[in-house]
Amino acid sequence: MYLLLLLRAPLDTNVAVESPEHIVFDYRVAGPARRSFAHVIDLFLCYGAVTLLVLVIAFAFMGGRTPSMSMFAAKVGFSLVLLALFAAQWIYFAAWEAVLGRTPGKMLLSLRVVTTEGRPIGIKAAALRNLLRAADLLPTAYVVGVVCMAATTRFQRLGDLVAATMVVVPARATKATALALVPPAAPDELASLPDEISLDEDERSSIELFLRRRHALGRTREQELAAMIARPIGERVGFWHPDPARLLALVYDRAVNAGRTEAPSSRRWPAVVPEAR
Amino acid sequence: MSVASALTERAFADRRMSDWEELDAILRKASTTRLRKLSKHEILRLPPLYRNVCADLAASQAARYSAPLVDYLRGLAAAAHTLLYARGGSFGRLRDGTLRYGWFVAFPRTVRARWRAMALAAGLFFVPLAIGAVLTLRDPSFAFRIVPEAMLRPLTESYARGFADGRDAGESAMMASFYINNNIGIALRCFALGIFGGLGSVFYLVQNGISIGAIVGYVTSQGAGMNIVTFVVGHGSLELGAIVLAGGSGLSLGWSIISPGDRTRLASLQSAAREIIVIVFGAAVMLLMAAGLEGFWSASSVPRTIKLAVGAALFLLLSLYVVLAGRGKGSQRSKSNQKVAS
Repeated sequence: MYLLLLLRAPLDTNVAVESPEHIVFDYRVAGPARRSFAHVIDLFLCYGAVTLLVLVIAFAFMGGRTPSMSMFAAKVGFSLVLLALFAAQWIYFAAWEAVLGRTPGKMLLSLRVVTTEGRPIGIKAAALRNLLRAADLLPTAYVVGVVCMAATTRFQRLGDLVAATMVVVPARATKATALALVPPAAPDELASLPDEISLDEDERSSIELFLRRRHALGRTREQELAAMIARPIGERVGFWHPDPARLLALVYDRAVNAGRTEAPSSRRWPAVVPEAR
Repeated sequence: MSVASALTERAFADRRMSDWEELDAILRKASTTRLRKLSKHEILRLPPLYRNVCADLAASQAARYSAPLVDYLRGLAAAAHTLLYARGGSFGRLRDGTLRYGWFVAFPRTVRARWRAMALAAGLFFVPLAIGAVLTLRDPSFAFRIVPEAMLRPLTESYARGFADGRDAGESAMMASFYINNNIGIALRCFALGIFGGLGSVFYLVQNGISIGAIVGYVTSQGAGMNIVTFVVGHGSLELGAIVLAGGSGLSLGWSIISPGDRTRLASLQSAAREIIVIVFGAAVMLLMAAGLEGFWSASSVPRTIKLAVGAALFLLLSLYVVLAGRGKGSQRSKSNQKVAS
């Protein structure tokens, strides 16, 4: 069944990862735009810190009491700046990602580096993907990296390919709000509505998507879309309603909420509109 | 598939909601405070809650509950999965002293296992070095084609002056930092650009070899040959050895794509990279030591004979270390490690 799900995978930027419990997760892979924003933030932080260090050292240099002391301070200061530059270029990214799986820039844009199996990365992977930065940023401005991202399904640059990692947006859906029928079914509607309606998976999910989106559409567009499937579905289940959108809502409600054990009737459950999440 | 007997979504959610909320609370706590801040009770609850959510997710997919519920459960399960299935674990690192293992066993072993790439890298580095030196000795102006004259002249003058004055501490520190920044950067780039079929590594090895050869040749042709040997001999084995190792790692990386054996090119690249990175770590540490020596020892006013002796001893130690360290004991462990790695 999961194989089927994978074969029928929609054309989007999600990546399916199967856990040892045979549960398939979707990870939303981060694209080049979001990642470059995070990178720019990181660069600002790094080189901002280096600039700050330079300023501090410049003040210390001016504060030396004798010329030889100032010279000494200048030399030590310059060596600190060189070390800071080295850390900014080669250590900053790898260290953050090895410990937390994300750099401060990635935190701000809620990105995370995980392995292609969806697990946290370790020191080796963090070091590899950031060493390979040297290859990705060639010939300038990450051209190699972006081309490589465009050519892979998981938006992986060379460093990601070598380290078997990907950058994801670990979004957590908020608590589910069930779809409800608003207003509740009127008696005359219930009179003609069949007791049991079964919809197949496609019908169910497409009606559901439509019902969740419909208040974002114009009234005319809503009717137009609903009319496209209301008639064949209505004919099949033997139910007719002048308003196609209402027809779909009634059919969906009956299919989902009735005919199961412990099913509260649709009249007792006119609870909420699908709230904006 | 019949769904007639499944619970309604509402009833299902009502029945299971308390577990989900408990797991959600633990996950939120762990995401802000790290795993070790969780209480004993929470840690014990995590696996059963995760298994339950996995079961709920499977049930809700089979019963075709609405997309938001399935998404919610999937997000919950994914977040718990990320927390539970951390690689290797920070616990293992503390227990086994992996750093010591890496330095005394994994690093020399990996170097020996890939000796062909290392030998090739040594050839690609030292042959251009010799060519550069010989050509410059024949005709000193050859050096200017490789290294700018404006850089060569002051360099030669400083070598010609000798080391009698030594360097003050500030300058030593500055030079050491410069060598860290410059040399480790070169070595890491030399490895990373090996991804392009090894070509980047070849470029860096040859380019650095021929420039060093030209500099040595030029300084010698100007009569300061003994001084540059005295300078280089202390840190030379570490520094040049590390460049060769980094280049060899890059060549290995490139070769794993060109000749993947019975795996896909990507799988071959990934498993090779995972082994080779140990060499790169080692080379970086070697360059760190070399930078310290180069800054504080090589240009100091210590007599030439002592410098030569120390240089020779270091070379011998390094060779013995690479050839002999990590043989014999612990072979079981390296095998099991490789299994985990692949």
